[in-house]
Parts: sequence; structure tokens; C-alpha cells
Amino acid sequence: MKKFNFIVIAVCILLLFGVTNAFGQSVTVMAVWTGAEADAFLKMVEPFEKETGIKVEFTGTRDLPAILTTRVEAGNPPDVSVMPNPGQMQEFARDGKLIDLSTFMNMDALKSDYSDAWLELGSYQGKIYSIFISADLKSLVWYNPKAFAAAGYTIPTTWDELMTLSDKMIADGHTPWAIGLESGAASGWPGTDWIEDIMLRIAPPETYDAWVEHKIAWTNEVVKEAFEIFGGIARSDKYVYGGPNAVLTIPFGDSPDALFTEPPKAYMHRQATFIKSFIEEHFPNLVAGKDFDFFPFPPIKKEFGNPALGAADMLSMFNDTPEARAFMKYIASAPAQEIWVGELGKLAPNQKVNPSVYPDDITRKAAQFLGEASVFRFDGSDLMPAAVGSGSFWTGIMDYVSGESLQNVLLQIETSALDAYRQ
Amino acid sequence: MKPKFSQFLLNTPMHLFIILIAIIWVFPTVGLLITSFRPSSAVASSGWWTVLMHPFNFSQYTLANYYEVITKIGLGRTFLNTLIITLPACILPIIIASFAAYAFAWMEFWGRRFFFILFVGLLVVPLQMTLIPILRIFNKLGLSGSFFGIWLAHAGYGLPLVIYLMYNYISGLPSEIFESSTIDGATPFQIFKSIVIPLSVPAIASIAIFQFIWVWNDLLVALVYLGGTPNVAPLTVRISALVGSYGQNWELLTAAAFVSMVLPLIIFLSLQRYFVRGILAGSVKG
Repeated sequence: MKKFNFIVIAVCILLLFGVTNAFGQSVTVMAVWTGAEADAFLKMVEPFEKETGIKVEFTGTRDLPAILTTRVEAGNPPDVSVMPNPGQMQEFARDGKLIDLSTFMNMDALKSDYSDAWLELGSYQGKIYSIFISADLKSLVWYNPKAFAAAGYTIPTTWDELMTLSDKMIADGHTPWAIGLESGAASGWPGTDWIEDIMLRIAPPETYDAWVEHKIAWTNEVVKEAFEIFGGIARSDKYVYGGPNAVLTIPFGDSPDALFTEPPKAYMHRQATFIKSFIEEHFPNLVAGKDFDFFPFPPIKKEFGNPALGAADMLSMFNDTPEARAFMKYIASAPAQEIWVGELGKLAPNQKVNPSVYPDDITRKAAQFLGEASVFRFDGSDLMPAAVGSGSFWTGIMDYVSGESLQNVLLQIETSALDAYRQ
Repeated sequence: MKPKFSQFLLNTPMHLFIILIAIIWVFPTVGLLITSFRPSSAVASSGWWTVLMHPFNFSQYTLANYYEVITKIGLGRTFLNTLIITLPACILPIIIASFAAYAFAWMEFWGRRFFFILFVGLLVVPLQMTLIPILRIFNKLGLSGSFFGIWLAHAGYGLPLVIYLMYNYISGLPSEIFESSTIDGATPFQIFKSIVIPLSVPAIASIAIFQFIWVWNDLLVALVYLGGTPNVAPLTVRISALVGSYGQNWELLTAAAFVSMVLPLIIFLSLQRYFVRGILAGSVKG
């Protein structure tokens, strides 16, 4: 049985390889970042590794919510991890899985680096559990300045002007909007951002908070109105490129492409700051600020002004080790965030970050918009329980655009919300 | 000459049908292959079939995707990791299952039927249900994050099916062989070593392919038990991390798919003759 012996030897050799080693100090970090974001992260931790000699063991996976929950449940969490959303952070904090950062971080420095809003978003019951390292601003309408100039269009500053402009485009034989909701299992989320942005502009922020916390029902008039304003555009054959069918099937990352064809298939696209990287990847020759730009999603009811809707990346600590402590201190600092946001064109929550690190003027413009906004609200669907915020709200958007009656859609979301919020 | 020709005519519809099926089957893979050679801006703006209009215009092809995939995933270490995971995770269950299948098929012991049904019944337990409890045990034993842990995990997940398939094959061997060897004074282990194993080579080869491809393509088990740090991450983990968190750069996946396909393809093609024989094993008992 020579073969048998060979196999036994082979297994033994592999066993030798299999004994992996973890020499020296290290901190394990888990995040949703992959691709370019993972590269940027590794670049950010490089100075930290050099200075402290602590090795950062990084795992980036888009399945973070599932993997993280599994590992936390099994008692084997990473030292530091990105939180999928503030709602998840609060659940972990409630279960006592997270380390209170105020036990070792300099709170005075944190308070001078971050606005209260950010610290509050990272806290649960008065204790701080999360550090925000970057933010995306969502209340933006992207457009092609050259196409606008060629057709003689001007930037609208109010909702009425926006709708007048849209009608004018239609009269000229153009299509005003490009919307794409397809995003695999997460299809529908770009629509939730529309609803949230509209909500903030037709109701006071308190109503928005009440809606997010399910203190007002989904069948409430305000929610209905927000859906109807969105539906007026997304469900129309004239206002949106390709009509509702295209809205449902175009991948969200491809949808702004319609702005840059010759002649443009559409003129405006509402999406967060991160869509810039898609545009630049699909059209490497376009110059930010010259060939594509954004204007703020305009106010609808004057009294509610121009609030900013956003999302942000937050890190929490599961294991209280000296290495993890050092790491958390590092990523909260301005130099770390300058590398991170400079690479990715995201916005930095740390106020000490030098605006000159932003890669271009439109990112600086977005940072300014975020800094000056009178009202800032976190993406509502990220704050809701997963069954609603990344479940029935998403599918509800898809159903609504595909022609389902608004009453039915809202009732369905409400039913799932009644269940989800009870826990 | 004539009968041959009419035979050919008779077979023609069948051949056409098979060719048609083959084309339908290969179609998406061809699309994937063509996409993997196109630059990302072209992938974003037009479909892969547009290249077929000028198939020999080579300026529309690029190796950039392959270059980026190979440099980014750190090919050497990652391939080695995958092999370190896959080979023992493939050999281990087959060795155990051969012993088990032989015992279940030809040895008399108390509770034989009960244990067999118990093992095969484990086929219906979804793998995902076991992640948390097993990871807890691994933590206690210090096995999480080590290759040894993932070998055990894969062996465990593979065993029910492998035992079942091996049992079907081994129980189909003619009983006279066993009787005559027993009369000649062979011990059960001798019978196993010098009769059962040599006779089961086709079955073992085909099961090895199954198990190999399953472990090779696994992402979840590796991510949970091993984690995704570069010194242990297999190909699948590194490849899934190529795509941005909003799905950017998905065109890299097309090239990555072919990179990760190379070794399984080689193994499949070299074991193919056993595979066809082995797939019949257990289904037709003579």
C-alpha cells in the first residue's frame, strides 16, 4: 500500500503547515470593506503598525452582519469590528458585548474632535461604544454640467423649481431623472433614501425620528405623502429614464451612466457621495466638478430648510486588549481619518481633519454641506430593525414602483414593523 | 458502406440535439470568459456579445482584469492556503468513510442499522445551524482560526454523504469475495486493505472530486472557522473581497472565476474516466 503511505506522509506535511502562528502583538479587525476600501484601510493602518509594532489582522467581508453575529454568539468576536448600522451596535451594547470606550479614551479630546451629534450616535444609554471614521452624504442630486449648459438649464434651489425644470426637460423631449433600484438581495435601498430625504423636507426632524422609532405608523399621512412624491417621479414613464420597469431592473451603480451618454438619456440622479467612485470607474475620462457635479436635494417645504441625510462607518471594540485600545485611539485621530477619507473621497466626522485632504472640490463641497446643515439625520433604514429597515422597507419600495397600491404597500410594511419593534 | 450511412442519418437528430444542449450549457460561460477579457469601462457600457461583431479586433481585449486579480489576491500564499485546506479536508473524510462504509456493509455489530440511519440522517441538517455551536467548541479547544479546525469541520460536513455513497458501492461488491477470503483466513482489516480499497478506486475517485470541489468552492465555512486574514484565507475569501462593498469592480470576478477554476478543471479532467464509472457506482448493482 505505497499509495496509502504517501497519503499519510502528505497529510503530515500539511499538518506542519497547518500549525499557524500568531507571533507578537496583534489586533484583529473585521469590516465590510473590500476592494478599494480594503486597500484604503490597509493604507490607513500602515503608520499605526510602523509606530506601535502592533500587527493589524484585517478581514474584509461583505457578509459582515452574518459572520459577525455568528462569531459574537460563539464567543469568538474580532477585537474590533465595523458595526453594520447603529441599530446593530445598540443591540450588541445592550447584550453587554461591547467595551465602553470612555474607560480608556480621553473624553475631552473626543469632545473637541467630534460634534455632539456624532458622539451621541455612537452611544447607548449614555456610554460611548462606537467611533465614527467616515461619513457619506446622501442628499445630493448629481448632474452633468456640460449637458445642463448645452440645454440652457439652471440649478434648481427649491422643489418647485426642480419640478418646473423637470417639466421643461420633458417638453424639450428629454428625460429628467435616472433611477436604478436593483442591488441584488438589497434591491430597493436607493428608494428608501429618496423617501427619507423627502420625509426630512416635508416634516420636522422630530417626525422623522418618530417614524424611525415607529412612534408613528407607516400608514401615517406624512409617510404617505413622501411615498407619493417619490412615486410621482419613479412610477412615471416621462419623469424617469426607461419608466418604472427600468427603475426596477437597472443596477443602482449603473443608473448614473445615463447622464453621460451622448446625447444624455437623463439629466439628474439622486445619490450619495459614494456614487462618485462608480462614475469615475465607468467613465475614467470625466473630471469631478467639471464633467459631473452635484447640487443639494432642494427643500420642499420652506420651513424645514435643507437637512442633510447621511450614513457613516462606525467601529466598536469587543475585546479589551491593550492593542485594541491603541487601535481605537488611532482611528479616532485626525491623521488616521485624513488618510482614509483622502483615499476614498468620503467625509470625515473628526472636525480636526484638514479639508485639503479631500481629493477634489466636490468632496470639499459635500463636506461643507454636511458641516453647515442645520439638521443632520442618519439614514433611517439603517436605524430601523433589520426586518423593516433592510427587509420590508426595501421590498415595499420595489412593490410600490412596480405598481402595487400605496395603501397595500404601507400596510405590509406596517405589519412587519409591528412585529419587529415589539422585541 | 450503406448501413453505416443510414446509421449516421439516424443518429443525426440525436447529435444535433446534444450539440444544441451543449451550446445552451456553454453559452453563459462563454459570456463570462469574454467579459473577463474586456476593460471595465466597456463592461459597464455594453454587453459582451457586442465583441462578436468584430471578434478579431484585438484592441477590445485586455489582460488587465487577470493582472489585477493575480496581483491583488497574492496568488502564491492564497493557492497554498486553499490546497492546505482542501487536500486534508478531502482525504480525511474519504479514509474515515471507507472504513465506516465497509463496516456498515459487511460487518456484523450491534446497532449497525441504527447508526447507519443516524449518519445518513445527518444529511438533512443544514450546515448553517451548526456554525455557532461548533465554533464555541472550537474556541474551547483553541481550534478556531487554525487549519486543523477547518479540516475537522469539512470532514464532518462531508462525512454523511461520503459514507452513504461509499456504502452503496461497497455493499454492491459480490459477497463471494468476502466469504472466500474469510475462509482463507483473512482478517477484516486485511480484506479491507487488499480487496475493498483496490476494488473501490472508481468510487473513491468520483467522491474525491465531489468533496474536492465542494471544499474548494466553500466560502462560508472558511470565513467562520478560519477568518479572512491573508495568512490563512483561501481563494474564495480573497476573491469575494475583490469586489467593493457597493458591488464596484465586479468585472474582476469574471477573471477571478477562471483563475480559481484552473485547478478543479485539471483534477476533473484527469479523474474524468473514474468519474463516469463512479457515478454509476451504487446505482446499478450487478
